[in-house]
Amino acid sequence: MADARLKTLLVLLVLSLYVRASKYQAETEDNDFADFEEFDDDFERPYQGESPADGGGAAEPERAADVGRAAAAADREQQHDGDDDDDALVEVPVHRSTNWDKFYVEMLMIAGDDGKAEPGSGAGLLKESENMYTLWCSGRVCCEGMLVQLKFLKRQDLVSVISTMMKAASDQVEIRVTMNAEEMDTFVFCLANKKSAARLAKEMTDISTYCPERKSAERFGLPAHFSVLSEIHEAAAAVLDARVVAVVNKYPELVEYIHVSDQYSGPKQQLDDQAPVELPKVKPTLAFCFNLPGRGRLQPADVETVRPLMQLVLYMVDRMKRCKLGREGRLKAEKNRLRVQEIFLKQTHQSRAEKAQAKREEKRRLEKERILEEEDPEKQRRLEEKNEKREAKRRAQMRQMKVKAL
Amino acid sequence: MSTVNSSDPRRPARVTRYKSPLAVNPNSSAPVPGEDPTADYMNVLGMIFSMVGLMMRVKWCAWVAIMCSCVSFANSRINDDTKQILSSFMLSISAVVMSYLQNPEPMKLPWEMLS
Repeated sequence: MADARLKTLLVLLVLSLYVRASKYQAETEDNDFADFEEFDDDFERPYQGESPADGGGAAEPERAADVGRAAAAADREQQHDGDDDDDALVEVPVHRSTNWDKFYVEMLMIAGDDGKAEPGSGAGLLKESENMYTLWCSGRVCCEGMLVQLKFLKRQDLVSVISTMMKAASDQVEIRVTMNAEEMDTFVFCLANKKSAARLAKEMTDISTYCPERKSAERFGLPAHFSVLSEIHEAAAAVLDARVVAVVNKYPELVEYIHVSDQYSGPKQQLDDQAPVELPKVKPTLAFCFNLPGRGRLQPADVETVRPLMQLVLYMVDRMKRCKLGREGRLKAEKNRLRVQEIFLKQTHQSRAEKAQAKREEKRRLEKERILEEEDPEKQRRLEEKNEKREAKRRAQMRQMKVKAL
Repeated sequence: MSTVNSSDPRRPARVTRYKSPLAVNPNSSAPVPGEDPTADYMNVLGMIFSMVGLMMRVKWCAWVAIMCSCVSFANSRINDDTKQILSSFMLSISAVVMSYLQNPEPMKLPWEMLS
């Protein structure tokens, strides 16, 4: 009796131990990516159709798939490194398993770099963990690079599967585009659904510093469950133009957040007991997070619906150049940033002053010790005199400073 | 050629290489905070369970320790070192083996132990 029970328990345990839903996950992945292969030629025409009207109108129709590729190939031959590797980028071979890259190859120079291999050798999607994949693309006007992170729900072990079943969540695609400093004007803006807005306002350094209030997005024509956190209202209106609003309205449950910022430094780091030593490094960045449709059950056909969102990303990258603030807006932004710097300096001033004080105390102590250790009474007396003179001078200086402060 | 060049947004000269965020963050040796501490928690939990299983000779603890090690392995990042995972696996397997060597009786499930 006990044996039978133990056996069934063991069998259950072994089955559940390492539920690598790689089969399910791999299926969805391969099917997602395989789908892109079919639409090879259609890639660029949809983009042309939707691209902004004033973006070099005459040149756009010419940019049919073949012409684009041939020109790019010729272009690259003119570059000093006309490696075979680079040409391989032009016609992405069919056997590449990760075809998310293909879409970006048309828009960016390299897609899929792991920082170590030769560019163009095609590392493709990098696997960071069983549920997270990364794709780094770079080599385009306006931006330094774009990091695409596929954050899937955890399906690789039983504990995670159960906890995922209890939360209503979906697979997400997070895209972070690092812009060149001169391309973007200075403002911080975020559009997010209510839950994410609360979370971002707490977590992100720039949003918590520059965007204290959360407004409903209805005034911009967006569904009610979105909120806008914006430093300068003018900037929010400039970013949320008709096309962006149209796309967001078409796929409201797919857009998680859109974060535009010239002071992006990521989430707040865990604070140590003392104040931070220096301001975090900031980069002008566009961050997007999209939910993949299906709430965890992704169908191959669904991936096509996400493509307009990808095009939105690139559209916004190109548009940031034209999103300029007016004079008032710029002044306000300048003021805000100066204010933040001042606050930071004040905070660190205290800690810096404390450190300087501590150092001075230390020096004084050492001096006194030396005097005491000195055996020769003459030398001792002389050192004491010197020390006293120094102290008297210091006291006089402090008194002078206090008078000046008054 | 020049018109096509200007409408093609690619700029080969502007390629910046990928810097892994783990490499860039000099302050912490651990991954960026907020990015999945599950693997670490499960690791610690697995070690605790295997110690309890060994010391107190509680068999189901040892089995749960193996389960925790597997979950930790499944959630680990690709560039995490495998030594830690391997050591937790070894520890949990040794806990199971030792508790059965000392006492080959079938395992008493937790709810039975109380009655």
